[in-house]
Amino acid sequence: MDRPVKDHVILSAVFAKMDVFGLAVAAGVLCAVGLSLATAVLLLQSVPEHYPVGPHLSALADYLPGYSVSWGGAVVGAGYGFLAGAIAGFAGAVYWNLVHYVALGVMLISSAELAD
Amino acid sequence: MGNYQNMQAANRNANGVNLKLLHAAIRFNAMMLGLTGGTVGAVVVYFATQTSIARWGEDSGNLLGLLAVFFPGYSVTSGGAWIGAFWGFIYAGLFSWLSYRLYGRVLGTRISEVLLSTTPSENPVLKPSIMRLHGISLGVAIGTMAGVGLFCSTAWLVIRGTASESVHAALLSNYIPGYSVSITGGLIGAIQLFAFVFIGCLLLAAVYNKIVEIRHKSA
Repeated sequence: MDRPVKDHVILSAVFAKMDVFGLAVAAGVLCAVGLSLATAVLLLQSVPEHYPVGPHLSALADYLPGYSVSWGGAVVGAGYGFLAGAIAGFAGAVYWNLVHYVALGVMLISSAELAD
Repeated sequence: MGNYQNMQAANRNANGVNLKLLHAAIRFNAMMLGLTGGTVGAVVVYFATQTSIARWGEDSGNLLGLLAVFFPGYSVTSGGAWIGAFWGFIYAGLFSWLSYRLYGRVLGTRISEVLLSTTPSENPVLKPSIMRLHGISLGVAIGTMAGVGLFCSTAWLVIRGTASESVHAALLSNYIPGYSVSITGGLIGAIQLFAFVFIGCLLLAAVYNKIVEIRHKSA
């Protein structure tokens, strides 16, 4: 059964802060799992002998030195994925909190002007 | 006074939830997420383009240039980076905005579940609570948007008559079995992508919520 939701709960939810460290780690874990799985899926598929495996995903090596579509590369990719995801999660959470502070500031200034 | 009370009552549902405030809250946060997502999208496209130019010079843009299919006017050039940033803002902003609208819609009156603590704080605005993520709602929202996005992109390739030449898009079938650059393939791909993204969101929310609980246990 739904609990009654009071107005302060709705307001708290609107202005709730994102945990920056939490989102950075969570996004990092997700990207690490994602990139290593993406590599593993290609390795598990059967390809003709001497046929290149994952030439497009291998292009990531241009940006991620040491990465390749191999089992070792999947581990390296997990590390890079964690790093990239953590940076994205950190930036996203900081920006989310910042945008809310700015919006709040604008609202407070507007309400102060109205009160005058 | 009577009119005010009638108006207040009309805005509340059977459980006494202030629906007007709830919908305004969802609209506000959707706009905030739209701005956040749009800015991140613009920055990513701009810097990816500039990095490509810096690294490969005139040979750059073999793969990144394919974005021009969806970003009219885009090219891997300094001027194109700004056009790409514009389209990145539009697409990512729209995706984020719609995702939050859907997230809020699915979450509905369970909004208290996204707060670490529902104890009334001195000032919920100036002393905000810590946000939790609702995995299922997040999965439904982002999964639906990702699925719709894949279907629309595929449909666009079909409509413009380049489906048979879209060898890079066809590579998605490595990860999404059943996907092909066709309307039917796009539909199958959208359903499967929804499932993958849904699972990803559950993982994201579970890890995030666990960390939040550990870090703010004493609060």
